[in-house]
Amino acid sequence: MSMEQYIETVIRPKIQGDGGEVRFAERRGDELTLVFQGECSKCLILDRCVHWIEAEILKDLGERVSVRAIRKKPFFWDT
Amino acid sequence: MAHIQVVRRSMRPEEWTRLRFGWLKRHIYKKKYEIKTLQIREARQISEMEFEYYSDDYAPLCKGDMYFTPDGTAFIRGDVVIPDDYRGEELWLTLKTAAEIIVKVNGKYVGGVDPNRERILLTPYLAPNTEKLHFEMQGYNRSKPDDERNPESLSVRGCRQIFEGAYLAVVDHAVQDLVYDLELFLNIADCELFSEDYRAFLNRELNNALNLIDFEDDTLPGLADAKRYVDEVIYANDDYKGSGDVALLAHSHLDIAYYWRRIHAVQKNLRTVLIQLRLMDRYPEFKYTHTQAFTYETLEKYYPEVFAELKTRIAEGRFEPVGAMYVEPDCNIPAAESLIRQCLYGQTYFRKKFGKTVNNCWLPDVFGNSWILPQILKKSGVEYFVSNKMSTWNDTNRFPHNNFIWRGIDGSEVYACVPPTHFITWNMPSQIQENWEAYQDKNTGGQTLSMFGYGDGGSGCTEEMLELMRRFEKVSVMPKTEHVGAQEFLEKNLKGNRKLAKWDGELYLEMHRGTFTTKAEIKKANRRLEFKLREAEIISTLRALGGETYPAQALKDCWKKLLINQFHDILPGSHITPVYRDTMADYSEIEEKLDAIIGSGEQYFNSLNFPRTQLTFIENENGDSTRYGKKGYWCLPNLPALGHGEIRRSVGTAEEWCFVGERVETPFYVVDFADDGSMRSLYDKELSREWVDGAFNELCVYEDKPGVYDAWDILPNYKDRRVAVEVATPLHLAEKNDEVAVFETELKIGQSTWKRLIRLFRLSRGIEVENVVDWREKHRLAKAEFSCNVLAREALCDIGAGFIRRETHKNTSWQQARFEVCHHKWCDLAETDGGIALLNDCKYGVGFDENKISLSLLRATIRPDPTSDMGLHHFCYMILPHAGDAVSAHINRIALEYNIPIVKADVSCQNTFPGLFLQAMKLSEDGKMVVVRLTETEGHRGTLRLPKKVRLLNMLEDEEGESDCIAYKPFEILTIGIPLE
Repeated sequence: MSMEQYIETVIRPKIQGDGGEVRFAERRGDELTLVFQGECSKCLILDRCVHWIEAEILKDLGERVSVRAIRKKPFFWDT
Repeated sequence: MAHIQVVRRSMRPEEWTRLRFGWLKRHIYKKKYEIKTLQIREARQISEMEFEYYSDDYAPLCKGDMYFTPDGTAFIRGDVVIPDDYRGEELWLTLKTAAEIIVKVNGKYVGGVDPNRERILLTPYLAPNTEKLHFEMQGYNRSKPDDERNPESLSVRGCRQIFEGAYLAVVDHAVQDLVYDLELFLNIADCELFSEDYRAFLNRELNNALNLIDFEDDTLPGLADAKRYVDEVIYANDDYKGSGDVALLAHSHLDIAYYWRRIHAVQKNLRTVLIQLRLMDRYPEFKYTHTQAFTYETLEKYYPEVFAELKTRIAEGRFEPVGAMYVEPDCNIPAAESLIRQCLYGQTYFRKKFGKTVNNCWLPDVFGNSWILPQILKKSGVEYFVSNKMSTWNDTNRFPHNNFIWRGIDGSEVYACVPPTHFITWNMPSQIQENWEAYQDKNTGGQTLSMFGYGDGGSGCTEEMLELMRRFEKVSVMPKTEHVGAQEFLEKNLKGNRKLAKWDGELYLEMHRGTFTTKAEIKKANRRLEFKLREAEIISTLRALGGETYPAQALKDCWKKLLINQFHDILPGSHITPVYRDTMADYSEIEEKLDAIIGSGEQYFNSLNFPRTQLTFIENENGDSTRYGKKGYWCLPNLPALGHGEIRRSVGTAEEWCFVGERVETPFYVVDFADDGSMRSLYDKELSREWVDGAFNELCVYEDKPGVYDAWDILPNYKDRRVAVEVATPLHLAEKNDEVAVFETELKIGQSTWKRLIRLFRLSRGIEVENVVDWREKHRLAKAEFSCNVLAREALCDIGAGFIRRETHKNTSWQQARFEVCHHKWCDLAETDGGIALLNDCKYGVGFDENKISLSLLRATIRPDPTSDMGLHHFCYMILPHAGDAVSAHINRIALEYNIPIVKADVSCQNTFPGLFLQAMKLSEDGKMVVVRLTETEGHRGTLRLPKKVRLLNMLEDEEGESDCIAYKPFEILTIGIPLE
């Protein structure tokens, strides 16, 4: 399974289950860029989820990556 | 002149009081013993009682560890030996958490902890001399707290939490009592709704009381003196008098699905019920109300021991089932029969399990209520209606009543209560005072109703709410309060109250107008399945009369699944992505079952109780037309009412019937099309009149940015910014045969493509517009707009069992607020001798402005679901100019034919119940009668004459008489029972 498939099919449904949203943006070497929307975009403790995603990737895919989280806030939270 | 504002930087006396209040709270627990043997197993819920585990076994869970995962459930267990110095004490478990955790100790459900409560009393549930405790906990964590107005909940939101430890604890009740006293008085002191003098008194005397405690000593010397001071000086003071009479009702609103899936509601409900039962154990005066038969069903199915306990409390009158319905549905979009089934299946359950017909409808959170409801409620054993939204959420006008009489479309009346404040409060004096001040029927309505208890995701009341309630009568400045049950409140204040004002009309919510349109595919499937259920029941009943087995359970299962998905955060579209997936999966399952039940036959069956005469598309792989991507042909079916027969394709005509030049001419019209499919002119050859006065059938797309209530709301400012609609392929003739000419255009909006197929017919006045949309926009509202050459101040809108007249002008703020309303299969703008009807097969939102109709087609919202409405959409509507008004033109019948596909089934029915619409035909719940539901849809009075006497039933299928001659009034829904021989 590619990293993009993994994010889209394994991680994303779980994030969506909490009213969040995550999309694969790109991977450059060990750096994985993910875009967070929905509730994730304003989560005060998103970093904890990011570390969890990194750990899940290591557990399931055996790859050590560093996730760069981009928050895409909707206009009504963008104050 | 330079001005320096004086800002007090030193501590104010009230701050000093609050600071010491915080210190006092640190002493609530006499002692705490950390449980260090806990283990955790993380998982994710995949069905109501199934979990996908992330590890094979449990792992240790220590204070400071991270626990819970996105959309995760955690199972926590542990064994602890009660320390010697805790034996014989009143033992509590404390666990501060953002999650919702159900706790079992030594095999017994002892309660729940969540962001609103952190401790559970253990001792009463332990066997005498218990030495060891075995904990089993199941927790569900999510980023959306029960109530966003509770700041403590908000501060802990997030998917990954830090475990703050679990403890055995002993409560210092002397401290706890004083804490509750101070909670109460500090809330009053902070609330400007109370007397300024009394608040000054409180600030002074609370300071004096706390001065008696030595906070530098951990044993808190002076605590008893402080408590005595509070009793003798503060409580005892009655110099300041409050006014008012407020009924306090315990309730917890539980969204079946919202920011969580339906499967999670099972445990949310268990936790909520369990917490209330445990409070009842400790507070004998406490009574609680709980809605939705569905939630009782899941409790009974999965947690029978808790259900047995609940039944006992119901029998005692302390746990009160309220809301006669199966779930709390949306009350704009569902068909009349769906609302009836909500009552039928809800009441049937309550009767069977608790021996009780619930006499109230409890819909605190629904987004407005259809005018057809009073009749349905009244005929379902319901006398009272309760719904909060209109008072607290209207954005333009203040709804003028709280306790009143609601008169329905047919003249049926129910007592109604729209409480002045939110359905979620935490029973604080300030909230009770606010309720009284907002109450508009002080002189006529009796007590005002204030609901308390956390909700949305359940959870309910807390110890604190009940402790405060015990203190209210001692506080002279508060309104008089009474802790009530629902039936008790309603019967005491509304029943027979001749002073009550009357509201005759729909209960329109001046907010959440987008929910008529958001998540178009759900609405489309819901409409299709409502009619398919009708079809399946009618065919199954007629087959049963011929000796076949009636699939009662299968039909009921389909109905219940459909009803669950009509919940007020599912059908309206205000939910997260996984809820949408669940719903669409449910719809597929229902459809598959119904198709199997309907089966097939040699001939076509007309389930309508009037002849089918409208041009209809019949699917046939050899057909030369295409609709919804399927081959078929157009024909006049000419099937008799409730009869079957052959359908033959019409012979057609050798003559040219459609001339395409600069204008298009058919037997009915001369049309001047623009490239985008709009019409510059639609001249009616039969009626010799022009129908167009401006943009007509124009696709208009607007910027739609309502703010944080994205999926819910459309704001009137949507009209401010129009988005370009480009013509990618100009309108051209794409298909033409003996019956239909199809004109096609492709439009482009941003990243989206929008194909319009416009059909003109040889034998029908209707002009159908099929839309095939690849929708990839965000924050857009697409509408089809029609400027009609019609002078009308009212539009008629189908509301499922009759029609409502709505003003098209904007004279007052009440009309201005109704810029977007809900309709069902059709709306109509007419003069006395002609008008334009707009029929649809899945759309509900519509606006009227003088001579303009704007049919809402699609939205593109991002909260709560960032993926909402993205992808392919396929839907049709039909423009139908007609002579006379909508009633004389039989628009409702035509819309029924438009929405109900003809199926093959070799059944028929002799009696066709002329003059009324056959809304449903089924076997009764006891299987002993054929139940026929007939609706007067056109505003006529009349008499139904039958060949023999039938049973007159209410909607719960109770017999209320018999007759062979039934007089009916406008918009009446009749239910009759014909005993099986």
